[in-house]
Amino acid sequence: MAKYAMVVDLNRCQGCRACTEACKIENNTGQSMFWMHVFRFEDGEFPDTRMSFLPRPCQHCDNAPCVKVCPTGARFKREDGLVLTDPDRCIGCRYCELACPYGVNYFNWQTPEASQYSDVIDWDDPDIQSATGGLSPPYRNPDLDEEWGPEGRRTAGGNHDKGVMEKCTFCVQRVEQGNLPACVDTCPVTALRFGDISDADSPVSQFIRENETWHLLEEAGTEPSVFYVGGKPPSHSYKEVERPKARV
Amino acid sequence: MATQTNTQTSLLPQGVGRLTTTWKLAMAGSFLLFAVGVFAFVRELSTGMIETGMRNVGTMGGASWGLYITMVVYFIGVSFAGITIAALIRLFNLRHLRPIARFAELLTVVALILGALAIIVDLGQPLRGVVNLFRYARPQSPFFGTFSLVIAGYLVASLIYLYLGGRRDAAIMAHYPSRLQRFHRWWAAGYRDTPEERDRHRQTSFWLAVTIIPLLVIAHSTLGFVFGLQVGRPGWYGTLQAPAFVALAGVSGIGAIIIVGAVVRRIVHDKSRIDLDVFAALGKFLLAFLLVYLYFMSVELLTLLYATPEVEKQLSDALLLGEYAWIYWGSVALLVIPGLGLLWQAFKRRWNVGWLVAFGIAVNLAAIGKRYLIVVPSQTHGTLLPYEVGSYSPSWVEYGVVLGLLGLGALMIGTFVKVFPPIPLREDEEVMVDA
Repeated sequence: MAKYAMVVDLNRCQGCRACTEACKIENNTGQSMFWMHVFRFEDGEFPDTRMSFLPRPCQHCDNAPCVKVCPTGARFKREDGLVLTDPDRCIGCRYCELACPYGVNYFNWQTPEASQYSDVIDWDDPDIQSATGGLSPPYRNPDLDEEWGPEGRRTAGGNHDKGVMEKCTFCVQRVEQGNLPACVDTCPVTALRFGDISDADSPVSQFIRENETWHLLEEAGTEPSVFYVGGKPPSHSYKEVERPKARV
Repeated sequence: MATQTNTQTSLLPQGVGRLTTTWKLAMAGSFLLFAVGVFAFVRELSTGMIETGMRNVGTMGGASWGLYITMVVYFIGVSFAGITIAALIRLFNLRHLRPIARFAELLTVVALILGALAIIVDLGQPLRGVVNLFRYARPQSPFFGTFSLVIAGYLVASLIYLYLGGRRDAAIMAHYPSRLQRFHRWWAAGYRDTPEERDRHRQTSFWLAVTIIPLLVIAHSTLGFVFGLQVGRPGWYGTLQAPAFVALAGVSGIGAIIIVGAVVRRIVHDKSRIDLDVFAALGKFLLAFLLVYLYFMSVELLTLLYATPEVEKQLSDALLLGEYAWIYWGSVALLVIPGLGLLWQAFKRRWNVGWLVAFGIAVNLAAIGKRYLIVVPSQTHGTLLPYEVGSYSPSWVEYGVVLGLLGLGALMIGTFVKVFPPIPLREDEEVMVDA
């Protein structure tokens, strides 16, 4: 059985947020939901300030606090390491969100009315029409409604039901088909890597072996599946700058 | 026919079946509140929880649990004292407190129902929640204790306790011809108050009381665990959460019993049954719980001030000096002043019902404040990753639903006292009836 992990190379990340865009387009998430969020930090006193970036997907923890607290088992851990949500079982109590130290959970406060990009992109443009197969928002990625994995549960959270929780799925719908998650596939500087760490010869295993890695909030004991290379863990002296407009 | 029924019902003791104008006005007001709550909840159901003031923790800069969960914790806290006192009366045979046993149990039942409803209104999928919380129940989740256990164990046990304790009175009441006779006969269910029956009841209630006490300590501790077990939320993680929850539950619950006791005393027009001794006993109970809670609070405060990790500092600053300071210090004042007042009354051995009711109201307001401070600031100011500080203020929908729940509670208590005597009838009541 494969065991998936992601490696974030902070030596390469330049905070372009292409991964955030790719995630939003692939998963068609609603306004102000960022399954993949990239922090842009500023540290130090002017003029000696320093910018740093930190992509924050779901950490897909091996000791996931969200899985432990879910009262109905809607949030579960798969053998291959993915932590997923069953939107048909979730009752929307939002306990997972509060148990998670990373803040990766997003609740569907309402049925999304429009895609995040509907007012930016001209959906009637023939080029865009041919790329989207004639679909315009709010459209559905049919893969997101499939039942994935041996559990046969609808886990990709693609149709964003009102009143249930959702979060990064490591793009289960792409991984199951042998593709990389959208963020990893899109990253222009290969700051994100994804693969099977149970296979010692896989590129991602080799990369982890060759580099010093750390986890986000190691002290929380969550045993994340996301490894960070380079940089250093953010402290509370960091100021977040250039935040996305995030409140609906 | 109508006049005949009226004269007949007026025979019932403790004003049962007699609808006074004050009562009608109070019930109309409560119903109005309830209607507001229903309206707000329907709004929330149809548009989604976007109607509330809650938003996601983190990038969205909100709090995902707000006023609803505050009220869940508060209501379930209030439920603690009623059944505890009723069980203690049974276990230690505290005869002079017997008159308060029934409405204390009633308060527990009502508070538990309101607590469960407050959970339901907080769910994104309320109907699915009612099914799934039992169908896929996971005892590993602390949430199990606050809903599934509370409903399936605690509420059912309290209802049975209330039912058994009332059977003798129901049998007596069934002698009176009234519109409620069928109901009283149904409650009595063939009870005839023979010595064997009385004995069997005493034994059953005793063992039920023995079972309920650990059950309720477990239920209230799991409520503390909902917060106390979360490493990822500064201000929540701690061993003290569970015992402090039980202590504050005692404070707010006994405060509520004092308030309801004063109201019931007025309704039944009989001050001899709930006399000053009963209030003195409740005042001492309240004082004891209050002192324990103030001790817990001081320990917590000292720990916070003496050695504060970086993230906890951000949280404690917001609590003690920042935007939550008025709630924090307001709640502390509403706990300390009643504490001093109770000490003074205990010292002087002069108990005043008016002051006790005022203290009861004060500690209940403080309890809501303290519950709010446990739930909300850890979300807006307690993110371990350096997200921007968030904010939360309840929307009118949340206030409306909470008012509706309070109105529903008043409706339930108000209805009960008019269909059943809120104070157990005297031992010699039956003789009186036959005469």
